[in-house]
Amino acid sequence: MTRIPVLRSRSPVAGLRRRSLRPPGVFAQSVATTAPAGAMASTPLLVIAAAGNGALWSFAIAAVVVGLVAACITVFARRMAAAGGLYSFTAQGLGPGGAYACAVAMVVGYGMLVAVTFAGVSWYGGALVARLAGGGDAFAAGVGVALVVVLAITVAVGAVRGVRLAGRVMLVIEAVSIGLILVVLVALALTTAPGTPPAPVGAGSGSGLGGPGLGGIAVGVLPALAAFIGFDSAASLGVEARRPFASIPRAITTTAAVAAVLYLVATLVQLATPGGAGRATSPTSGVPATVGDLSWASVGMDVGIVASFGACALAALNTLVRVLFSLAREGVAPAALGRTHRRHLTPAVAVWVTVPVPAAVVVVGTAAGVAPATVFGGLVAVATLGFLAAYLLVCLAAPRFLARIGELTGGVVVASVLASAALVATVVVVVLHASAGLLITLAGLLVLGAGGWVVLRRRRGAALRGMGVYDETTTADVLAAGPR
Amino acid sequence: MTSPISGRQPQAVRSALLILEEVAAAGVGVTAKEISAALRIPPATTYRLLNLLVAEEYLVRLPDLGGFALGRRIANLAPAPLSAPTAARDVMRRLRERVRWGAHLVAYDRHRFLFVDPDPDHPPTDADELARHPHANGLGRLLLAEHDELPDGPLARLTPRTVVDRDELEVALVEVARTGLARQCGEFHAARGCLAVAIRAPGDGRLVAGLALTGPADRVAAPNTELIELLREHAAELAPLLA
Repeated sequence: MTRIPVLRSRSPVAGLRRRSLRPPGVFAQSVATTAPAGAMASTPLLVIAAAGNGALWSFAIAAVVVGLVAACITVFARRMAAAGGLYSFTAQGLGPGGAYACAVAMVVGYGMLVAVTFAGVSWYGGALVARLAGGGDAFAAGVGVALVVVLAITVAVGAVRGVRLAGRVMLVIEAVSIGLILVVLVALALTTAPGTPPAPVGAGSGSGLGGPGLGGIAVGVLPALAAFIGFDSAASLGVEARRPFASIPRAITTTAAVAAVLYLVATLVQLATPGGAGRATSPTSGVPATVGDLSWASVGMDVGIVASFGACALAALNTLVRVLFSLAREGVAPAALGRTHRRHLTPAVAVWVTVPVPAAVVVVGTAAGVAPATVFGGLVAVATLGFLAAYLLVCLAAPRFLARIGELTGGVVVASVLASAALVATVVVVVLHASAGLLITLAGLLVLGAGGWVVLRRRRGAALRGMGVYDETTTADVLAAGPR
Repeated sequence: MTSPISGRQPQAVRSALLILEEVAAAGVGVTAKEISAALRIPPATTYRLLNLLVAEEYLVRLPDLGGFALGRRIANLAPAPLSAPTAARDVMRRLRERVRWGAHLVAYDRHRFLFVDPDPDHPPTDADELARHPHANGLGRLLLAEHDELPDGPLARLTPRTVVDRDELEVALVEVARTGLARQCGEFHAARGCLAVAIRAPGDGRLVAGLALTGPADRVAAPNTELIELLREHAAELAPLLA
């Protein structure tokens, strides 16, 4: 009998419910994290503000970049199944340094994304309730805080109960939200007389090219890219998905494609009805809307957005705790985070440790009197940078990984080079236009990350070198390698 | 998601089968480059087909991610005829001397049932029939409880007593997983019932086989404490012989 010396009898990420999640659940995870419903209601306005009529181009460029990133991610997702998602992938191409950087970027990105969703629910939900009940700003803030607490507890319980139940719930919520928002957008387009699109007001609009201009289009790419973040999150379900090498790449590429189509449609509709959607949502209108023919639409839109944020909170948390779980199993994070729930087989300890942090950020921010728009915008900026950094690292890692295992093809090199260049350019533009607060936050995170690296190098060098555990093939998977 | 295929890509199918054969012939750890060179299939095509075969679990990647081996699913293509070792047959013979019901030993191969030692005096139901309705028989419930999943599609009502409610079945499976015993009274055949206990590999605790007693439905419904104890003792004896 053939002897395979390197095969283990137990997977290093044992403890999760292995190979049980069906494709719809995997798909739901990626879709819910991307939250296309919320993004298609709000992002097109931002992109149109920057690029005017060129907003479609901004979205098209962002979609191509996301497609290239997806191509690099699926290089790994077709070949290995991990709980840590992108950082476990990066480890295979860039080694411990790249893996650590990517892990930090993911923890920041997904952690901030959870906070973003909390802030979003607090902002939109608070404003909606205040509008319906006729309260002022203080009332809205109070309702917002209460909503954050309720949502935090709900998603924590959902994440512990397991991704199977969560997936079903998320898919339904997201589908209903998308339907609701599409109906509202189309209704607005039909009831609003066509007018001229708003003049571009973005930073790049003064480039003298006339119309929206190339500069405006380029500036519009960033918010457009931000609308896609999270499409990779199915990668963290590698251990739990049934047939992961088929279902996860498909979930990632399908999510990116579906989101792209929805955003382009939403942008088209909003270009046709300038200001329509802006009037429809509570926060952007600022004041309680007059009871008119638009009120039903704005309520519907707000409900869709809040629901989408709720599903996104659960999905982002699912990925965040799996990244922490994976880090803990490697010995990089405290071992307690690697413990799973006895019955539900989910990283329960990580859930209860993590959830209070983003909730506290939002509650403290609101209590300190910071405007919800500022809290939300700041969190989105940091989260987006975290994601872009993680995407950049995984794109750099893809060709090196393929070269190592001897499966390099030209297409992947092209995708990697183009995606990396686009991501670097985007990050540079963001940093150049960043506010002082954002720069200080970024510097703080960089210092924290680097400090963590130095400390870990000294205390847990072996653990760092062993980064990148994944669900390896075990004796039970191989024909005739173990006992039948 | 899958579009209806026309079957008009014979070269791709042929290449995929050749790759399977090449991995089988070359042995564990063969790399994509080696396969491509040996079969003279262009590298990009080879990588795509390999990823497809890995996704379908006919092949697996070894932990270095560069080497390939045949996956367990290959075993479905040519199921090995299983027969119990002589020592296991002895255990079964002793069990049959002590009970008056039919005693059957069934091995699990993924979701298939293989009677490795059916009771010659009490011929059991056809194994494929049992595998088709796992919710309605003890051996099937052991398997469902192990994988913690319900069958796709509606649950067939074979007799008036068959549990066809998914929630009810789920509760029953939790109980099976907890106790390692599956009991079924008149749910498959109206007049018959069975008691089945799990046989697990001593090393990793995998479910490898089931030991079942079949008898009249009303008698199976009784507590049968001693009988179950006897069944468990023999299952424990069988475990090291089968795994």
